[in-house]
Amino acid sequence: MTGYFIGIIILLISAVLVFLPILGITTADANIVKTLEFSPAFGQVNFAIDPLSKFFILIILIMGIISIIYAKGYLKPYIDKGKGINSHILFFVTLVLSMLAVVTCQNAFMFLICWEIMSLSSFFLVIFENENKEILKAGIQYLVFMHISMLFIMAAFIILSIKSGSYDFQSFAAVLQNNPELSNIVFLLAFIGFGIKAGFVPFHNWLPSAHPAAPSHVSALMSGVMIKTGIYGILRMLTLIQTPTKLMCYMVLIISAITFLYGILYAVSQNDIKKMLAYSSIENIGIIGAGIGIGMIGLYYNNFAVAFIGFAGGILHTLNHSIFKELLFFTAGNIYTKTHTRKMELLGGLAKSMPKSAGLFLIGAAAICGLPPFNGFVSEILIYYGMLKGLAIGNFFNFIILMFVFSGLAFVGTMAILCFTKAYSTIFLGASRNEISAREECSPSMIVPMTVLSVFILIIGIFPESIFKNIIMQPVLSLIDIEHHIKVFHPAEPVLMTVSVCTTALLVLLLIFLLLKSKLAKGKITLQNTWGCGYNRPNNRMQYTGSSYVSPFLSMLKPLFKKIFDIKKPKNLFPNEGHFSLKIEDIEEAYILHPVLKFDEWFLSKFEKLQNGNLQTYIKYGLIFLAFAIIGSVLL
Amino acid sequence: MMRLLFNILIDIFAILFLPFLMAGIIKKTKSFWSGRKGASIFQPLYDFIKLIKKHLVISKTTTAVFSLAPIISIAGVFTASLFVPLISGSAFWNLPGGLIVFAYMLGLVKFFSLIGAMDTGSSFEGMGASREACFTTIVEPAFFIIIASIMALSGIYSFESLSKLVLASGSYGILIAIFAALALFLMVLIEGCRVPVDDPATHLELTMIHEVMILDNSGHDLALITWASSIKMLLISSLIAKIIIPDGTILYPLYYLITIFIISMIIGTVESSMARIRMSRIFEFIFIMSSLALIVLSLCGVGMFEGLGG
Repeated sequence: MTGYFIGIIILLISAVLVFLPILGITTADANIVKTLEFSPAFGQVNFAIDPLSKFFILIILIMGIISIIYAKGYLKPYIDKGKGINSHILFFVTLVLSMLAVVTCQNAFMFLICWEIMSLSSFFLVIFENENKEILKAGIQYLVFMHISMLFIMAAFIILSIKSGSYDFQSFAAVLQNNPELSNIVFLLAFIGFGIKAGFVPFHNWLPSAHPAAPSHVSALMSGVMIKTGIYGILRMLTLIQTPTKLMCYMVLIISAITFLYGILYAVSQNDIKKMLAYSSIENIGIIGAGIGIGMIGLYYNNFAVAFIGFAGGILHTLNHSIFKELLFFTAGNIYTKTHTRKMELLGGLAKSMPKSAGLFLIGAAAICGLPPFNGFVSEILIYYGMLKGLAIGNFFNFIILMFVFSGLAFVGTMAILCFTKAYSTIFLGASRNEISAREECSPSMIVPMTVLSVFILIIGIFPESIFKNIIMQPVLSLIDIEHHIKVFHPAEPVLMTVSVCTTALLVLLLIFLLLKSKLAKGKITLQNTWGCGYNRPNNRMQYTGSSYVSPFLSMLKPLFKKIFDIKKPKNLFPNEGHFSLKIEDIEEAYILHPVLKFDEWFLSKFEKLQNGNLQTYIKYGLIFLAFAIIGSVLL
Repeated sequence: MMRLLFNILIDIFAILFLPFLMAGIIKKTKSFWSGRKGASIFQPLYDFIKLIKKHLVISKTTTAVFSLAPIISIAGVFTASLFVPLISGSAFWNLPGGLIVFAYMLGLVKFFSLIGAMDTGSSFEGMGASREACFTTIVEPAFFIIIASIMALSGIYSFESLSKLVLASGSYGILIAIFAALALFLMVLIEGCRVPVDDPATHLELTMIHEVMILDNSGHDLALITWASSIKMLLISSLIAKIIIPDGTILYPLYYLITIFIISMIIGTVESSMARIRMSRIFEFIFIMSSLALIVLSLCGVGMFEGLGG
C-alpha cells in the first residue's frame, strides 16, 4: 500500500507544479517555454506549454489523479490475494508523467522517446494479470501496434528533420508551410502513426483486445486520456502545417466517418462490457476526428466560422469523452469487482444491489449518447452545427461529403442509444439472470471519484458557455490563424445559447412534472408481477437478453458482421443438454488483418530451414555475409 | 407585445389539446370508413383524464427508471416543442440548431422509454423496445438529411427555413416541398406507430411495437406516455404544415389547423385501407423514407450549386 500512496503523492506534486504556471496562460499567444540541454545528439530541447498543451495537460492530470484514486478500491482484492502492486503503480505514474512530456515536448527526437516511454509503461499496465495467457497475448498485440505507430511517426519526423536540419517543431513549421506536396506526405504518415494510437479505423484492432485485458482504472486512463495523445499529435501537426490541403481535409473527414460508423456498429454487437466500451471509444474518436475534419475544411475554404465551430466541437468532445468514458470504465470495474464477469448476458438486475453504480452508469450512458442535459450533447451539437454551416461553402462535392458525414453522425447517435440502452438494461435492469449477481455496492473510495466525474458531466452540460470560454476557446484559436481572432463574439455563441436554453427548459419542465407526479402518486400504488400475457410462472432466464435486443438491427446489417455460432440443440423427448453461443468477429480483423498475418507467417516459414542448429552452417552464413560485405564495399 | 402574447397562448393551446384532437380525428375517420358512428373526437382527452385519476399498478421488478421514464418523455417532448413552429407559425425559440435539439430531445425520450420498457424484465416489452430502437436508427438519418438539405438551401439554420421553400424557390421549391412533406408524413406514421408500421389497435403482444413497450404502465404514467407520443406526432405534423403553408400569411393558424386535420384524416384513411406490413418487411417501408430523403438531398444540392433554385 505504501507504493500506492507514494504514487498519489508524486501525481499531486506534479499537478501542483504544472498547474501553477499554466494558470498564467490566458490568451492564445502566451506560451511558456523551457529549454533544456541534453547530450549533443538532441541539440536543444524545448518543452513548451501553449494553449493546446494546456488543454491536454488539464485532461491528463485530472483524469490521471481520479483514476489513481479509483485504483485503490479496484486493486484491493488483488492486494488481499497477496499480489504486489508497487510496480503497477510505478508504471501508472510513469504513464501519466510521460503523457505530460509528450504533450509539452517540442523536439522530435525527445518526443519519440517520451512516446515510447508512454507506450511501454501502458504495456506493463495492460499485462497486470500476466498469469493469464489471453491477457499476455492482448498486451503483446498492443505493443506491436504501438511500435507500428511509432514507425510511421518516426518516418514523418525523419523526413521533416532532414528537410529542416533540426529536430525542433518550430523549424518543421517553416519547412511545411508553402509546400503542399511535402505536407501531404508528412501529414499522411503522421496521421497513420497517431491514428493507430487514437484508434482510427482501420488501425483500431488493438483497442478491443487491450481494453478488456487491462484493469479498469488502466483502461479508463488509456481510453479516456492516452488515446487522446493521438488526437494531440494530429492537432500539433495541424498547427505546424497551418493551412491544410484539400486531400488532408477530406481524408480526415472520411476516415473519421468510417471510424465512428464502424466503432458503433461493433459496439452494438458486443456482449463483453469492456469490449463494447472499447468500440465505443473508437466511435468517439471518429466523432472527434469529424470535428477536426470540419475545422480543417473551414480552414481550407477560409471560412472562419466553420473552422472555429468544427475545431471547438472536436476539442470539446475530446474533453467530454475522457470524462464519460472514464466514468463508464469505472462502472465496468465496479461490476467486475463484485461479480467477476464482464459478460453482460450473465448479469441482470444489478440496479437493486448496486444502485449508485447503476445511476452513475446511466449518467455516463446518456452523456455518451449525446443526450441533453449532459456534456456529450454540447460537443455533438457543435459538430453538427459546424457541418450544417459547412454545407453551403465550397462545391457540390463538399455538400455531398458533409451530408454523408452529417447523416452518418445522426445514424451513430441513434445506434449509440441502441447500444447503451442494451448495455444498461441487460446489466442493471430486469431480474438477475444467474446466481453470480452482486449483493452489495462498491466501497466509497470507488464511488466518490465516479461521482466527481458525473458532476463534471453535468456542469459542462448545463453551463457550456463558461466552460467553453475558459477551456476550449484558446486551443481552438491557436489552431486557427491569429489574424482572424475574434475577441468578443465567437461563432459558437448562438449554438451554446441554444444548448443552455434547451437544457434549462428541460430541467424546469422535469421539475414541474416531477412535482406533479409526486402529487398524483399520493394515491395507492399496487405492486404486482410483471405482466406475462397470462403466463403466471415466468423465470428470470426468459427475459430479453442483450443479443436478442439488438438482433433485429444486426440482421438488418448482416453483411457487416462475421458471426460465429456455436449451437447444440436439445434433442430427444427429455432434452437435458443444449447450449448456444454467438461470437461476433471484427470483419477488418477477419478479412484483412488475419490474411496478411497468415501470409506473413507462411512467407517467413520459408526461411525456417536457415536455423538448423548446426554450428558449421552458421559459420558458413558468416563467411557468405563477409564475402558480400567485402565485394559490396569494393564495388561501391 | 399583444401579438406575441396571443401567439404564446395559442401555442400552449395547441400543445395541450391538439394532440388529443388529432388522435380523436384519426379514430373518427376510422369509424367512418368502417361504417360506425364512433366515439366523439374528444374521447382521447376523456381517456386521458380518466387515466390520470386511476391509481398505479407497478411491477415488482422495476426500479426508479420505470417511474422516471414517463416524466422524462413528457418533459422531453415539451422542450422539443419549444423549437418547433406550432400553430402561431413561428417557434417559441427560433434558435440555430433547432433541428438537432429537436432530434436529440426525441432521442432522450426514446432512450428513457426504451430502458423504461426493459426495466420490467418482460420479454414482450424487450421485443417492442428492440424493434422501436431498430426502426429509429433508420428514420433519424433520413430526417436529418431532409431538414439539413432544406436548411442549407435557404441559408437559415432554424426550422424557419422550411417555410422559405415554396415561395422563395418557385416551382423547383414546390417539388422539394412535396418530397419533403411526403417523407415527413411517413415519419409521422413510423414514429407515431401507426399502420402500416405498427397497429395501435392490435391485441396480440407479439406483433406490437409501441403498445407492447407500455404494457406494464398504468394510471398517470400511461396517461403521460400516450400524451407524449401524440405530441410527438403533432410536432412532426407541424413541420409538414410549416413546409406546405406559404410564408407570411396572417391566416397561418387557420391553415395550420386545416393541415393537421387533413393529416389526421389521411392517417385514419391509411389505417382503414391498409393492413400492417409483415414485421420483417417494415425495414423496406422505412427505407422509402430514406430514398425520399435522398431525392430531397439531391434536389437541394443541385438547386444550390447549379443555380436552379432561382
